[in-house]
Amino acid sequence: MAYAYLFKYIIIGDTGVGKSCLLLQFTDKRFQPVHDLTIGVEFGARMITIDGKQIKLQIWDTAGQEAFRSITRSYYRGAAGALLVYDITRRDTFNHLTTWLEDARQHSNSNMVIMLIGNKSDLESRREVKKEEGEAFAREHGLVFMETSAKTAANVEEAFINTAKEIYEKIQEGVFDINNEANGIKIGPQHSAAGGAAAGGAGAGGAAGGGCC
Amino acid sequence: MPSSDSEDFESADEGQTHTERKERKKRLSSSNYSENALESDSGPKETSTLTGKVEKPKAKTTDGWDDFDIDNPEESNTEVKSKEPSPKEEKQPKAKEETQPKAKENVKSQDTGWDDFDDWGQDDVISKNEMEQTSKPVNQSSNQQQTDRDIKEVTDRLASASTKGNSWGWGWGVDSLLSTATAGITTATAGFTTLTSQVSQGISTVLESGIGAPDPEELARKNNKEADTSAPKVEDTKPDEVKAKEDQPNAGANDGAFPFGSLLSGVTKFVETTGTKVIAGGLDTLETIGKKTMEVLQDGDPGLAKKRAMLGLDSGDKPVLSQILREAKAKAEEEDKVREEKREAKEVHYENLFDDFEGLVHLEALEMLSRQVTMRIEERMRGLDPEKRQDIKETLQQVAELCEMPEEDDEDDEPPSEGMSKPDAFHEKLQTATQDLGLKLVFQPLVKQYTDVLDWLDSSDPDIGEKAVYKRAVSSLAQCTALAVLVYHKAAEMLLVKPRRSTADEADALTQMTVVLTKHISELATLFTEKLNSISSENKEQINNHITNIFLEAGNSSTYIQNAFQLALPILQIGAV
Repeated sequence: MAYAYLFKYIIIGDTGVGKSCLLLQFTDKRFQPVHDLTIGVEFGARMITIDGKQIKLQIWDTAGQEAFRSITRSYYRGAAGALLVYDITRRDTFNHLTTWLEDARQHSNSNMVIMLIGNKSDLESRREVKKEEGEAFAREHGLVFMETSAKTAANVEEAFINTAKEIYEKIQEGVFDINNEANGIKIGPQHSAAGGAAAGGAGAGGAAGGGCC
Repeated sequence: MPSSDSEDFESADEGQTHTERKERKKRLSSSNYSENALESDSGPKETSTLTGKVEKPKAKTTDGWDDFDIDNPEESNTEVKSKEPSPKEEKQPKAKEETQPKAKENVKSQDTGWDDFDDWGQDDVISKNEMEQTSKPVNQSSNQQQTDRDIKEVTDRLASASTKGNSWGWGWGVDSLLSTATAGITTATAGFTTLTSQVSQGISTVLESGIGAPDPEELARKNNKEADTSAPKVEDTKPDEVKAKEDQPNAGANDGAFPFGSLLSGVTKFVETTGTKVIAGGLDTLETIGKKTMEVLQDGDPGLAKKRAMLGLDSGDKPVLSQILREAKAKAEEEDKVREEKREAKEVHYENLFDDFEGLVHLEALEMLSRQVTMRIEERMRGLDPEKRQDIKETLQQVAELCEMPEEDDEDDEPPSEGMSKPDAFHEKLQTATQDLGLKLVFQPLVKQYTDVLDWLDSSDPDIGEKAVYKRAVSSLAQCTALAVLVYHKAAEMLLVKPRRSTADEADALTQMTVVLTKHISELATLFTEKLNSISSENKEQINNHITNIFLEAGNSSTYIQNAFQLALPILQIGAV
């Protein structure tokens, strides 16, 4: 599949907040109520279009279990975007956000776009964390905020795509050096072949594309 | 016209016609003449320096034109005299609008050159009288022929210009006039004089009234002044001028409003009352106009290099439309071909397929883990005293040795147990190999993929093309490799969170697993090459090519798998230190 850019995302957050379900909803548009625990990291990918450009989102869905914490930390590096997820029906998942955020900031590049997501918005009756609290936390830490439901798919697309848009804007502004793969952005094979309107242009090629022909 | 002179003339002439056309277009853009005159002002102001350039071709052209000047006795003094001042005169009508004093400076020189115009004015009114004068050149038949050619050329050009683009704005009047003129010249030489004079007069009238040529009225007045001071010379023309002054205002004054009225009336008159003098005058005017336009165009663009380039007039790199189209078509075809080839190549491109099956991202993740763990080991060693560090180094080395791949000369495995399908046997081998790993690894995807491949090979149409088999072979190898890499990645992650490590067992298990997987890869490759060989195709060479490629990709797959294994080594090692 030809793409102009590849963005690497990571999904982080406590176990059971619905990270894998969000990914499944975004990539397969389906919801699976019973899910195996994620081991280490799982992957998902989907093509989106921003500003007429094909962008491949390569999503690293990390394990939320404490035991995998040291492993998942090594995956933060080289991510362009992160979805930090908590469960609106479990206050402890919200309380752990600071730790997650510190982890993410420490092990990733400083330009990484972080989207705060309060998942399970369909379970309004069991809500423990008010939407305003999420908003306040996001404002305080300079994050984008959104409440989603992996079950009903509410805001799922938006969460992933808005993050991509923000990354894309940062590329346009020159904040991200697309030729540095540590930023989590790779230039697609098609893009580099065409010379590319974006800065840099050819050269990077990206491991993903391989040196086609 | 073989002489180099005539060539020069032609080029100069060409310049004129083109520039003329341009001038017309320019005029078209603005309905107001006086405004236009101002616009083109900037050119002539500096022409005094530029004229030198124009003069060169001009001077040569006079070879052919000399004769015409003879019939203007008052002009025949020197050629240079009559030619040179003309550019300056160009200034005249414009300067009149801006700086009157300057205009007066030029009065004298201007006069000599523009007598012709006045003469036409006379012709307009008292053409019969002028016939006496014109009779002279008519007799000069040799000159006539020369003129014939020259004029024909001019008219041809004009006619072609008119047919090429009706947009030049002279309307049907001149268009039809010119084409009539051309036709007349080519068909009937007898009527040549009439027609050419008609043309030249028509043009001169238009030019007088429409282009930046001096206002006849103004000229007449100037001439009057001149006549007062140097009376004897122009005595006979003086009354005519006065008459012209009376008759011609419509040409000058109405220029913007209706220039063609005078043109047409002038033309009709001249059909009856022609004279070669008129031709000469007309051609002189053409010359003057051409000269002037050249000057305007050359302003700031010596040699017209830029404008020629812009118009694509340089014959050297003159683009030919058909040529361009042909090239574009060829280019497009080439691009299509390349794109098609690329698409084809991509379809069976191992690395792309490996990426699509998430093999690459698992390898990347495994690499990250591996690097992280290596750093941790190094960190651990740094804090130790040299003796212990040496111990650890030895341990690491031992683990690495455990993970060395056994020799390839392994005795052929015992055939799969009775009643067991190939995929099941494969699964069992993997299970056995990883028994001591202490992890619950999931091999189902690998087994399922194997099953799918076997099914496809069994069920596929025997007439299936070699290309399809090849595609499937590469795809299967890439998929199998990706799934294998996933297993290594998962194993590494699970080992890292494993509470109690038994490095030797783990190393042995992973080594065995690697052997099973690489053997499986060759098994897949063999299955597909057998399938290819079974295809009865006349294209043996192609099939051999495919077989070679399949074994090549199989080797590629084994390399990926062994790389994954090597990446897992630090994860095994860290369990021992």
